[in-house]
Order: sequence, then C-alpha cells, then structure tokens
Amino acid sequence: MPKPILEIKDLKVYFGGGGFIKKAPLVKAVDGLNLTVYENETFGLVGESGCGKSTTGRAIVKINKITDGHIYYNGVDIDTIKGEDLKQYKRDVQMIFQDPYASLDPRMTVGEIIREPMDIHNIGTKEEREQRVRELLEIVGLKPDHIRRYPHEFSGGQRQRIGIARTLALNPKFIVCDEPISALDVSIQAQVINLLEHLQKEMGISYLFIAHDLSMVKHISDRIGVMYLGNLVEVGDAESLYRHPMHPYTEALLSSVPIPDPKTARQRKRIVLEGELPSPINPPSGCVFRTRCPKAMEKCALEKPQMKQVGDRKVACHLYDDK
Amino acid sequence: MAMLEVNHLSTEFKTDNGIVKAVRDVSFKVEKGEVLGIVGESGSGKSQTMFSIMGLLSGNGYVSEGEITIDGKDISPKNYSEKEYEKIMSDIRGNDMAMIFQDPMTFLNPVLKIGTQLIEPILNHNKISKQEATERAIELMRKVGIPSPETRLNQYPFEFSGGMRQRIIIAIALACNPKIIIADEPTTALDVTIQAQVLDLISNLKDELDSGIIMITHDLGVVASICDRINIMYGGKVVETGTTDEIFYNPKHPYTIGLLSCISNPEDDVKKELHPIPGSPPDLLNIKENCPFADRCEKAMKICKMKMPEFTEYSDSHQCACWLSHPMAKGKGE
Repeated sequence: MPKPILEIKDLKVYFGGGGFIKKAPLVKAVDGLNLTVYENETFGLVGESGCGKSTTGRAIVKINKITDGHIYYNGVDIDTIKGEDLKQYKRDVQMIFQDPYASLDPRMTVGEIIREPMDIHNIGTKEEREQRVRELLEIVGLKPDHIRRYPHEFSGGQRQRIGIARTLALNPKFIVCDEPISALDVSIQAQVINLLEHLQKEMGISYLFIAHDLSMVKHISDRIGVMYLGNLVEVGDAESLYRHPMHPYTEALLSSVPIPDPKTARQRKRIVLEGELPSPINPPSGCVFRTRCPKAMEKCALEKPQMKQVGDRKVACHLYDDK
Repeated sequence: MAMLEVNHLSTEFKTDNGIVKAVRDVSFKVEKGEVLGIVGESGSGKSQTMFSIMGLLSGNGYVSEGEITIDGKDISPKNYSEKEYEKIMSDIRGNDMAMIFQDPMTFLNPVLKIGTQLIEPILNHNKISKQEATERAIELMRKVGIPSPETRLNQYPFEFSGGMRQRIIIAIALACNPKIIIADEPTTALDVTIQAQVLDLISNLKDELDSGIIMITHDLGVVASICDRINIMYGGKVVETGTTDEIFYNPKHPYTIGLLSCISNPEDDVKKELHPIPGSPPDLLNIKENCPFADRCEKAMKICKMKMPEFTEYSDSHQCACWLSHPMAKGKGE
C-alpha cells in the first residue's frame, strides 16, 4: 500500500464576498474537493479554465487562503503548522509556474535566482550554495558557467529549466506543476517532460501536474483527476480513465482532444458539448455539469451527486447510483 | 487555378543589430476548398509569411523578393509603388482575403457593439444599404452558431465568452465571401471543448464555402484533424510539404520526424518514450544560407552546414529539402 504524502479533505477556496458598501459576489473557485496524492506518484489534474485546478495547486503551496477544509501533508494539517515546521513544509513543497517569462526576476542573475531559496532558508555556507547552484544547473541540463547570465539571455525552454532548478534547490518532496509546458514550443515541451520524469526517478518526488493538455497529462501521470467547476468529477488510473471514461464530462473532454494521427482523427466521433462553463458565482443546482450534460436526468437538478467508488474508479454522477 | 500562389517569397526585418531574415524563399499554393496547415515553432516564420501576403508587416519589415497572386491577380509588393500597393491591398483585405486571429479579445474593439464591428466590413466592401447589411450580419451569426443573433448584435464583446468571440471573428472573416481565409492559431487561446466546437465549425464551413483556408498552428493534433496538406516550416524556410497522411505516416525531413516523435499520442497502448529535439531554434539574425536545422540534426553532414539543399520530390504532393535525400548521401539517413 503506497503511503499518501498529501491529502486534501473537503477543500473550499472562495474569493470575494467582502466589500464596504455593496457586498461583492462570492466566487466558489474550489468547492468541497477531496484528493490524495501518494509518494512518488504523479497526479494529473485536468479541466477547463476556471474549473479551479490552479486554485487548488496554489492553496497547497499556501499562496491562496483556504476558506474551509483541510490539507494534510504527511498527516499534518498545513493550516496549523507554525515556526520551524512551517519552514520545513515550505522547503518540502514547491511550485513550478506556467510562464517562464513572468516567473523569473529579470534583474537577478541565474545564480542569484537559484540561490535565493537557499539564502532564505539559511542552508550551507556561501561556497556550498555556490557549488549547489552549479550542480543544479547541470541537473536541469544547463551549463554551470551560465550562472552569471540574466534570464533574458535564455529561451523559453531554458528559462523553464531555470525555474525547475530553483524549485529543486531545497530538495523538495512534492512539486505542484502548474501548466509547466503550455507556454513552450512542441519540441521543447518534450525536453521538459523528460526532465521532470527523470527527476522523479532519481529523487522520488511526487508531482501534482496541472494542465489542460490531456495528451501530455496522460503521458506523465499515474492517476488523473478531472475537475469541473470547482470539484472533481472523476478520478482514476490514467490508462483506464482514458480508455473507459465514466463521467459524461470526462467522456466529452477526452473526445475533444485533438489526436495527432490523421486516420484516427478522421474516424473518431467528437462529443461536442453545448455551451460553455457556467459561472462559479452562481453555479447550477444539483450536479454542476447538468446544464451541458447530454445524459442529464431529472434527478441531476435536485441532488448533488456524491463521489463514490465504481470499480477501479471514483466518479460523481447519478448515472452510477445503483451500481 | 490556385486561389493563392506564393513563389520564392522572402521577408526581412531591419533591426539595429542587422537584418533578420524571417521568411526565406517560401513557395506554396492553396486550392479552392482545401485546408493548408502551416506548422512550425515560434520564430519559424509562419506568421510572418502570412503577414507578408496580407501586406501587414510591421514598420521595419519588407518583402525583399517573390511573387504573390490571389485568384490570378498579382499582389506582389515589388511590382507596385508603395501607394498603389496600399490601395490594392486595402481593397483585397477583408474582401478576397480575411484573417482569423489568435486572441479574440484583442481583435475586437471593446467599446463598439458586436453588430457595428460585423456590419462595418460588409458596408465597406459592398454597395448595399445598412438594413441589408444588418440582415447579412444576422445570417452570418447564425451560420457560425450564435444563438439569438438579433439580441446578440446589440451587445458588447465583454458580454461574449471566449468561444463566442472567436465565432464572431470567424463571422467577420466570412463577411465578404473571401477567397482565402488565413487562420492564425485560431484555437490556441480556447479550452479543449470549445476548441472542438470551433474546429467543427471550420471544417463544416470548408465544405460550404468556395474559399481556401490556411491554418497556422503548432498543434499537430489540430492539424491532423482538419488539414488536407501541410507545410512544415523551420528557420524561415519550408523544409517539407505533403498531404496530411504523407507528413504523418511517411515523414522525410529529420525535423518533421523529430517533431512527430516528441509529441505523445494518447491513443498509444504502450507508453512511448518522448524523444525531444536537443537545442533550440536558430537565431534568424544574420542567418547563413545553409540548412537551418543542421545544428540540431543528429544526421547532419558537412554539406548541411555549407549549403541549403534543393527540394526532392517523393510524389506529386510530397517534397522535402534535405541533403539526406541526395543520391550521394545514400545510407546515411538510416
């Protein structure tokens, strides 16, 4: 039985709601999410923009405040940890950001960027840090003499490598990858994916891999969770979820993925969903997907489906109520 | 006759550091009712090729060589004075040639009603009354799948979602029955399910209209699902051209082969290892006239770094510019 490294229980992240004269509308970005990531595992989180996948990732690294619910890291609630333990948590859990152009300070040299986390956490002497930066540059496939250069001297893929080197500086156990490849060119995406896979093998890091590009997610993930409007609708083993999607949304999402193979692409029948994602300010009653669901029933408007185990899968849909 | 014909097009940009050769000796044709995909990474010159054709290059850019004809009409910049060219092009843009841009939010004017933005090109290019133009606009909105177009006509862009905005842009592009529609990454900014809706719309329109469509993209999945032919561009040059099947199942150029082996196909049963192409695309500033891919190519020979290869024909539609297909390089490709 693999050991869980991160457990999310009934996570709620709401935005807005404040205001002085008029109350701002409450955006329920994440609404009651449950998720477990095991050690040495890659968990892929997919969904359309606005479904709350990035908010979940940002809540884990404590960028977004949790409204309700708990996130347990190695069994400890991250909301309650303080002092030295909190510092340790921030060392263990790191994040790789989407845009390698915006996430690096243009006025710092590459060496300073990668060394900064070690400076903050007071790790080693000055010489040791310098040595470690050189090592890290080599690990991510850059040259150690790049240390005195500035980010603008690098291409997108190389900048993403610098970002990865920085996250690795503190020997993390868990990395939230928020769309780490979507800003990169196709031939560069594969370089970064291979690097992430290699690092996992070497260092036993767990990933939460957030993306909307399903073909890459399927490639890198062990398990996949599909999110829709603030909650998971289906969780399962990557291969089996792709082959036999159970939730109607997963089915539609997977059939929309463009397949890079003309013959399959011609034969495949796309399930084209009507309409677009409803607003999380005022989500539909019952099942949030019912407004676009081709298989919606009367019950879907009345009752919110609960996540339950069906075979090897967890799925939240009334279609599987009596199974 | 081809709807659009481009011969030996080269485009350069003057910069403080020297001349950037963004497009180098590019030739292709687009027939009626076909979708030509132009695939390449950022900086490969795919967008600049299109801007050169449309006459929309930014201030320091100019077409240095080449001929462009649209439906038999010559629109090569070098054959006209600057003033004449501008006059011809402003008539052709929107009328014979229309462009669908990547980002629907920056393309639409946020302070003008959708109706105004849709009716404007119709009135500009046709001698009809405003009433008729409005009717035509409503008909177009129906065609691209926008529900209750009469009310939507009086709304502003912010009231539309991303997918709906992209449909409006497609409607504007279709306004004057163009002969050529150039779509520059039309689905990149959209979500997967919305992307599927827009791709369906484009392939349905293709059968309905008499236009040729050029689809610029870096997403090989999108290309596989809607294109008939593909040009692969690298470092400002077309390195391989062929039908979609020829490119996907019988690629010849090492770059095409590399590109196909670094994407993952979710339909594969066994997890395929990705083989990324090492290095990064070339700098087009003061680029030498050799094969642009030579520095990243595993099979590069001495000649590759010295001279640009000619196109070798594999079939009527399939051509590839690589020294490996030269008779003297026999056996080196394996």
